[in-house]
Amino acid sequence: MTDKSEREFSGGKEDWDVAAQLAENCSEFKADDEDEIVADEPVSCYNCRFRRWTRDSFVCCK
Amino acid sequence: MRILVSIDDTDTMKTDSGEVRGTGELAQLIMQEVENRGWGKCDPITRHQLLVHPDIPYTSHNSAMCFEAEFDYNKLSYLINFASDFLTSESAPDSDPGLCVAVNDRISRPGWLIGFGYMAKNIILTKEQAYDLAEKLDIHLSEHGGTGQGVIGALAGAGLRLGGNDGRYKGKLKIKNEDNLITAGEICAQGKIDLVKCLDEGITLNDDDLVILGDHIKPVRLYGKSVLLVSRIAADNTRPQWQTCSKKQLKDF
Repeated sequence: MTDKSEREFSGGKEDWDVAAQLAENCSEFKADDEDEIVADEPVSCYNCRFRRWTRDSFVCCK
Repeated sequence: MRILVSIDDTDTMKTDSGEVRGTGELAQLIMQEVENRGWGKCDPITRHQLLVHPDIPYTSHNSAMCFEAEFDYNKLSYLINFASDFLTSESAPDSDPGLCVAVNDRISRPGWLIGFGYMAKNIILTKEQAYDLAEKLDIHLSEHGGTGQGVIGALAGAGLRLGGNDGRYKGKLKIKNEDNLITAGEICAQGKIDLVKCLDEGITLNDDDLVILGDHIKPVRLYGKSVLLVSRIAADNTRPQWQTCSKKQLKDF
């Protein structure tokens, strides 16, 4: 949990495989603008427009 | 004369009920308008990552977008008025947009502006600090809705662009070639890339060095130039030795 009581991804910013697996199984995934894409896997929480980056990871806003 | 145009905080978290245009898209539209109206000729947009911190009210990634232009000085007030109205009307509801327009050779202390940009990547800054610096350097800085917090990122984006060693260029680059193999010299000859450099070793490739092009070709801004970063894929002299960096490798730019 973050300071704002949001659920934060426990894998941090470099757990590429898990971020991709989670997104593959998420019906809410939607790719962000091209300029905000950081993962090479097209479908990844790291590339999702509903993720909000935090200092150590991200939170899902859906 | 050359100018810097930088904007920040124009969007909100996108919802599936409606499309929200990102800050980069709005910067692109301002740029197109500058060229369509014949006010100037613009260089490509760069994206600059700022500090992500729980006490900073960013939308999802806290980045600013900036472009430089060779501009007709007599049209400067037109640009500021147009961009101000445009951000007011086109930014997402609940966003906090900021606009910065600086005339490069009138910035009396470029180091202060560049320093502000790097501070915004590392510490929390205030609107007052941004306005104070903009006034000292005779830079236009204005807010166009919400809290106006975007003035911090807008000024920082201009500083980082001016510094020449931060950010990645907006959009993917298309390089004409056959079978994804091309020399560094041929890449630069196409006019969008100034240098091809190795990410890890820092060396600049020779014109005849062969590069394998990946599907993600995005230059970054280094040394005030558009630089295509590559990584080494073979340690011996078998060719090719280089391939373009992946998205992961470029994420920290």
